[in-house]
Amino acid sequence: MKYAADLLEQVGLERERVRMVNISSAMGAQFAELVTEMSEQLKGLGPSPLRVDD
Amino acid sequence: MIVGEQKTLDEIMGLLGDAHKVLVAGCGTCVTVSFAGGEKEVGILASQLRMRSKLEGHPMEVDEVTVQRQCEWEYIDPLAPRLGEYDVILSLACGIGVQAMNERFPDSITLPGVNTVFLGMPVEQGIWEERCQACGDCILGLTAGICPIARCSKQLLNGPCGGSQNGVCEVNPDIPCAWQLIWERAVKLGREEWLLEIQPPKDWSKSRDGGPRKIVRDDLRLADME
Repeated sequence: MKYAADLLEQVGLERERVRMVNISSAMGAQFAELVTEMSEQLKGLGPSPLRVDD
Repeated sequence: MIVGEQKTLDEIMGLLGDAHKVLVAGCGTCVTVSFAGGEKEVGILASQLRMRSKLEGHPMEVDEVTVQRQCEWEYIDPLAPRLGEYDVILSLACGIGVQAMNERFPDSITLPGVNTVFLGMPVEQGIWEERCQACGDCILGLTAGICPIARCSKQLLNGPCGGSQNGVCEVNPDIPCAWQLIWERAVKLGREEWLLEIQPPKDWSKSRDGGPRKIVRDDLRLADME
């Protein structure tokens, strides 16, 4: 995961745009919580500058 | 095998300059095994180039190709018809592949995306070590199968030197003393006598000191078949 984040950073994007977690299909509440958290984090970062001009 | 290491993205971007259309060309042999320039690395680097160039305001068009071996004409010749489309070819092969591309396709510019580092092997997943310097006059039969030319920092033929301490080299504690390894292996094999003979200075004319080397095998040359 560090490798993928490093690749993003080299390109000029924030490394926080990618994340991996281990979670079981039986952990619905925790999954929702993590997705919400990631979603808030991405909103904070703003849209990907690669998509802005599309 | 030849072990390579990909250049940094910053260096590659600098090499590519203002190129608009780029072909990233990988090699399916040594650099694939050293995870520096195979099909997977070509795909990742090409994506990085597209993203970075777009972010910098001059989007590049980047295509990808990986051939089985960039160091043989028969594998690179099929690329010929499409190379005219590109401002630059970025080769992720070793220095041999980069030169083969430039020699075979003199009207195209092929730049290196990989540093060719040494002849070696993966001793475990993710770790490669140097094993051979292609000196042209193999002495492994005299040194218990461990090469002091590639693995002794001083390339001693009669070691170890005084800088060998507790089995490691004074140059760097991460380097095992090659002569310690040679001695231990000879003892284990009961062949200490291998090391009793003082080796004379090496004939370096068979290595790089004699200039670029060449092997000619008339029995294999197609031109001489008649």
